[in-house]
Amino acid sequence: MNDTLTSDVIGRRVEVNGEHATVRFSGIVPPVAGLWLGVEWDNPERGKHDGSHEGTVYFKCRHPTGGSFIRPNKVNFGVDFLTAVKNRYVLEDGPEEDGKEQIVIIGNKPVETIGFDSIIKQQSQLSKLQDISLRNCAVNCAGDKGAIAEACPNIRKVDLSRNLLSSWDEVLDIADQLGHLEVLNLSENKLRFPSGSPSRTGTFPALKVLVLNRTGITWAEVLRCASGWPVLEELYLESNDLFISERPADVLQTVKLLDLSSNQLIDENQLFLIAYLPRLEQLILSDIGISTIHFPDAGTGHKTAMFPSLQYLVVNDNQISQWSFINELDKLPSLQALSCIRNPLTEGSKEAQTTRQLIIARIGQLKTLNKCEILPEERRGAELDYRKAFGNEWKKAGGHQDPDKNRPHEQFLEAHPRYQLLCLKYGAPEDGELKLHQPFLLKNQLLTLKIKYPNQVDQKVLEKQLPGAGWPHRGRTGLDEKAACVVSTL
Amino acid sequence: MRECLSIHIGQAGIQIGDACWELYCLEHGIQPDGVVLNSDQLESANLEHMDTSFNTFFCETRAGKHVPRALFMDLEPAVIDGIRAGRHRSLFHPEQLVSGKEDAANNYARGRYSVGSEIIDLVLERIRKLAEQCSGLQGFLIFRSFGGGTGSGLTSLLMEQLSIEYSRKTKLEFSVYPAPRISTAVVEPYNSVLTTHSTLEHADCTFMVDNEAIYDICHHKLGVERPSYASINRLIGQAVSCITASLRFEGPLNVDLIEFQTNLVPYPRIHFPMTTFAPIISADNAYREELSVSDITAACFDFSNQLVKCDPRLGKYMACCLLYRGDVVPKDVNAAIAAMKSRNSVQFVDWCPTGFKVGINNQPPTVMPGGDLAKVQRAVCMLSNTTAVVEAWARLDHKFDLMYAKRAFLHWYIREGMEEGEFSEAREDLAALEKDYEEMGQSF
Repeated sequence: MNDTLTSDVIGRRVEVNGEHATVRFSGIVPPVAGLWLGVEWDNPERGKHDGSHEGTVYFKCRHPTGGSFIRPNKVNFGVDFLTAVKNRYVLEDGPEEDGKEQIVIIGNKPVETIGFDSIIKQQSQLSKLQDISLRNCAVNCAGDKGAIAEACPNIRKVDLSRNLLSSWDEVLDIADQLGHLEVLNLSENKLRFPSGSPSRTGTFPALKVLVLNRTGITWAEVLRCASGWPVLEELYLESNDLFISERPADVLQTVKLLDLSSNQLIDENQLFLIAYLPRLEQLILSDIGISTIHFPDAGTGHKTAMFPSLQYLVVNDNQISQWSFINELDKLPSLQALSCIRNPLTEGSKEAQTTRQLIIARIGQLKTLNKCEILPEERRGAELDYRKAFGNEWKKAGGHQDPDKNRPHEQFLEAHPRYQLLCLKYGAPEDGELKLHQPFLLKNQLLTLKIKYPNQVDQKVLEKQLPGAGWPHRGRTGLDEKAACVVSTL
Repeated sequence: MRECLSIHIGQAGIQIGDACWELYCLEHGIQPDGVVLNSDQLESANLEHMDTSFNTFFCETRAGKHVPRALFMDLEPAVIDGIRAGRHRSLFHPEQLVSGKEDAANNYARGRYSVGSEIIDLVLERIRKLAEQCSGLQGFLIFRSFGGGTGSGLTSLLMEQLSIEYSRKTKLEFSVYPAPRISTAVVEPYNSVLTTHSTLEHADCTFMVDNEAIYDICHHKLGVERPSYASINRLIGQAVSCITASLRFEGPLNVDLIEFQTNLVPYPRIHFPMTTFAPIISADNAYREELSVSDITAACFDFSNQLVKCDPRLGKYMACCLLYRGDVVPKDVNAAIAAMKSRNSVQFVDWCPTGFKVGINNQPPTVMPGGDLAKVQRAVCMLSNTTAVVEAWARLDHKFDLMYAKRAFLHWYIREGMEEGEFSEAREDLAALEKDYEEMGQSF
C-alpha cells in the first residue's frame, strides 16, 4: 500500500464494508502509534466525530458524526476500470475452490444453472462487450493508458454508478478510450470537477445519455463540462441540490430530455434560465417543491416563447395546489403530455375524475394526461362540463350570450383563460343549462294544497304538502276524501 | 429449424399479438415492412445479427422480407381491421388476418358452436399453409382470453382440431384471466370455466395473465392513471418476450417448446405456471432505481410483480424457472440465488426432484419507444408452477356458482344449442382440478 504514504491519497474515494467515504487526512494521530487515515463518510451518521480528536483538528467534516480514523489496511481504494471489467465478466479460474460446483439448496431442492459455461465464455470476449455494468465495482481510475481502448473498444453503454471515481479527470481518462460511448451512468460518484476553465475539455463524441444523479455536481460544473458533450440528448441530474445559476450559453443545445427531479432548491425563476434550450422535449421536475409557475412574456390566452419544444412535462410529487398553475401550462406552445400526480391539487377529497376533466379542459393542446391518452370524446365531454360548471360565474363576471354585451372582467379571464375560447367552440352556455337543478328529493317535489271542508264552515282550511304526480300515499293522508275538496294548490 | 406458430384469437389475443410482434421486430431489427435493418443500421441499433434463431418466429421470403409465423383470427372484423390499417400492416400477409362478419357476443356457445363452426375450416386451412412453410414445426403459441366469446369458444374448437391434426406438436397458451375491474361482460366466469374444461386436455402449458394484476401494476408502479388495454398489453408483451427469448435467440434454457413442458409440468392437468416479471419501472423514473441482479431476483418474490394474483407463500412449488436476460453475469446470479436461500417461505413439494432452473439470455430487454416502461439493462422472468395458483381457480369457480345457482344468463347459451349438462360437466371438471392441486401440495 505504497500510495498511502503519498499526499495524493487525500481526496481519494474509498470503500469500507460497503460504505463509501472520502479520504481527508493521512498521518499520525497521537498518542496511538502508526499511520491513520481520516475519512469523511458519505453517510453523515456513520462516523464517530467531526475530524477532531482530543482537541486537535485533523480534518473538517460537514457533520459532527461524519468522520472516522481508520487504519489504511482496512480501506479499499478500488481497482482500475479494466480490472473491474475482468472481475465481473471473466471467470479466470475454475468455478470454486475445491473444483466442485457449489450447489445451492433452496427449499431443500438444488438449484440448477443451465448453460452458464457458455455464457461465461461469451462474456469473456471483452472486445465484444458493448453494454456493460460496473455498478459498485470499486472502480477508481482508468488504469494504464490505452489499456481500455485495446481490450474493449466497442463499449457503448457503461454503468459506472456507485464507484470510487473521485474526479472528472478520471472519467475523462476512461471516456477518451471509448470512442463509441453512447450511454454513461456516473450516479453516486462524488466527483471533483476542475475549477475555472477546464485544463482538459475532454470530448465525448458519441455520448447521447449522461446520468449524474446524486453526484453533488453544481450547475456551474455541468455547464463547464458540457462543451465536451456535443451530441448529448438526455441529461439526468436528480438529487444534486442543484441551484440553476446561469443560462446555458452554447452548451446543452442538443438536449432533448432533462431530469431535474428531487432538487429542492430549484424554483420557478430558475426555470427561466433553461427556458430557451431549443430542443428540449421532455422536462422532469418531480419532487422539487414547486407550487407556482408564471410565464411573464405571455398574457392571458397567449403562448409563451419559453420552452418552445417542450412536449412532455412531469411535475409529480410537488406542492401544486392552485389551478393557476394548470392555466399557465396552457401557454406552452408544444405541450402534448403532462404527468401531475401526487400534488395537493390532485389528491384530497375531490374525485379524481373531476380533477382529470378540469385539467383537460384547461390545457387545450394536451393529448396525454398521467400516461392516459385523451380521446376526442373525453376532451369534448370535459370541455362541455367545464363550460357549464363555470357558466354562472361567467355571467356574474359580466359574460353574456350576446357577443356585443359579452365583457367578463379581467379577474374571471385570468382564472379561466380558455373560457371565451370554449364559448366560441361550443357556443355560449344557455340559461337553461345553467339553471341549478335541485337534487331530486321528494320534499322538493311536493305540492302544497289548501283543503277546505265545505260543509263545515267553522273548520279551518288545512294546508298539507303532498306528492304531486302519482299520489303514492293515497289513502294514508288521514283525510276523509268525500268530505274534503281541494280549494287551491300552492 | 424449430419453428413456432403463433395463433392470436379474439380481441385480447390479437391486441396482445400486436404488442408482441411490435416488440419482436424491435428486438430483431425488423422494420414495420418486414425488411431487416442492414448492417450499418444494425450497428447503430446495437443489434447482433449473426444470430438467425429468430427464424423460428419469422419466415424469410425470397424478396428478403421477414413475415411473422402468425395467424390472427376473430369472428368480427373491427379489431382485425385495426391490424390491417395499422403500423404493421405490411408486415403480415393478408391471408394471415382472418375475420368473420358476426361476432360471438361474449358467448362461448357462439364462439364454439354456431358462429365459430362456420370459420373453423378456413382457419385450419390457413394454419396448414403456415405449417407447410416450416421444416420442423415444434408447436403452437396460442394467445386468447378466457372471458370473451371468441377467445373462449373458438379457441376450444380450434384446440380440439389442432390436437387431431397436429397430435405431436406442443401447444403453449397465453391466456388472459378475467378481471372484474376492466371486464365488459358479466358472463366471463361462464366462458372461462367452459373453455378451461374443454381445452384442459389439449393444452400442454398455459401461462395465465390476470388483467387485474396487470392493471394494478400499471397504476401503482408505472403511474398510469387509468390503464388502458394498450398499457396492459404492452406489459404482457414484455413478459411474453422474456418467456420466448430463448426460442428466438441463442440461449441455454427453454430453447424448445417441449422443454417448457418438461421443466414446468409434472402432470398433464397441472399446467398453469405463474409468471412474475421484474423490474417494472416507469419511464419517468429511468436511472433512479436500483436494478442489480439481486434486486430483480428479490422482486420476483414480491406480490406486486406477479401477473396472477395469488399467494405463493400459502402453496408449494412444484417447479420453477428463472429466465434472466440482458447484462447478467453468472457470478451475480449465484450471489442472488444464495440470498434467496434465506427465504424459508419457498417450499417445494416432497415428490419433485428438481428445484430451480436458472438460465441467462444475453439479449437485452427492449421497450417500445414512447411506452410506459423504462429501458433497463437486465430483466428476469420467473415461471413457477405453484399450488397457490388454485386460488385463481377458486375465485372463478365461486363466481360461476353464484350465477349458475340461479341459472342466470343461461338462456343465451341454451338458445345457441348448448345444454345445461355441459355447464355442470365443466364445473365438475374445474372442481376436480382444484382437488388435483390440493393433492399436489400434500406431503406423503
